[in-house]
Amino acid sequence: MPKTLRAKVITVGDSAVGKSAITQVFHSDGAHFPKSYSMTVGVELCVKSVNIPDTNDCVELYIYDSAGKELYSDYVHKFWEHPSVVMVVFDVTNETSFKSCQKWLERVKNKTNQELPGVLVGNKIDLVGRRVISPKIAREFAMKNSLEYCECSAKEMENVEAAFYFVANAFYRLYEEKVEVMNTLV
Amino acid sequence: MFDVALTDAGAKVVLATASDEKHPPEHMIDGSEETFWSSTGLFPQEFVISFSGLMNINAVNLKTYQIHKMSIERSVQAEPIDFEILEEKEFTVTDMALQVEDFTFDEATAATHLRFVVKSGYDHFISVHQVSVDGTAARQ
Ligand SMILES: Nc1nc2c(ncn2[C@@H]2O[C@H](COP(=O)(O)OP(=O)(O)O)[C@@H](O)[C@H]2O)c(=O)[nH]1
Ligand SMILES: [Mg+2]
Repeated sequence: MPKTLRAKVITVGDSAVGKSAITQVFHSDGAHFPKSYSMTVGVELCVKSVNIPDTNDCVELYIYDSAGKELYSDYVHKFWEHPSVVMVVFDVTNETSFKSCQKWLERVKNKTNQELPGVLVGNKIDLVGRRVISPKIAREFAMKNSLEYCECSAKEMENVEAAFYFVANAFYRLYEEKVEVMNTLV
Repeated sequence: MFDVALTDAGAKVVLATASDEKHPPEHMIDGSEETFWSSTGLFPQEFVISFSGLMNINAVNLKTYQIHKMSIERSVQAEPIDFEILEEKEFTVTDMALQVEDFTFDEATAATHLRFVVKSGYDHFISVHQVSVDGTAARQ
């Protein structure tokens, strides 16, 4: 019987960077980019399973998409308890949203003493002419913070899965490592 | 006194919230500390051990890794229902060594089933290497 791991994914980033769009495109297998703009109020939960290559195993991602508005922050932070992995999203056309990434990352890290695999996601790469954050700058920030870097366009449904596959696989590897330790305890 | 939670004593794990076929729940009651059941992400996690019949229990001993908070509940019914809480405990963290924790009861406590709820862990994943239950069959 294949095994199923379960991971809590916290998506953070400034308001309007595309967190909800990314989550929904991934959840609907690229069938659905939310056309009308509806702001996330508080927190939404989305569940989707990712198969791990070369195994029969999968990781079920419990994706908590939270609103970036301070207004909801007390409520939202309750859902951040015990994160398994983190996804920090910014908009490549918006410098402020990139500068905020450090702050978002720290907030989630403060919720746990454990290793926290994570990914930095630069969204809206379809807006080519308006881009202000280069892949190089983003990648440097990611590396400094031990994050993987992915970029995507939720609107064009381009490369959205990569970030989720990365966190699922990172969590899977973490499990394998921890079981290795459990095996050596006696 | 006798370990009534052993598979050899007729006990069974009737529910566990996670299963990796390499580390199945039966490993908690096979009498070996080397083999274990591992959780596969998120909390809470729980498992239920059913005895061969109604037991009077004096103590429960656990050999585990990375468990933070755990509670034990009992049921005296034939089916695993109507659980009531016996005790909740915060485990001491260990580094590269098993946690050894006891739940002892002042008076022998009757139970046909015990439910163990792992409310939180010191890591993403926890393991349970052995559950021993010191008890005797109750006269019914
Ligand atoms: N051009 C473009 N617009 C996007 C993209 N992703 C999201 N948007 C738009 O950005 C706005 C905010 O998106 P939303 O997912 O609600 O952001 P959130 O507040 O981070 O959840 C909406 O108007 C979306 O249609 C993208 O990849 N490209
Ligand atoms: Mg949103």
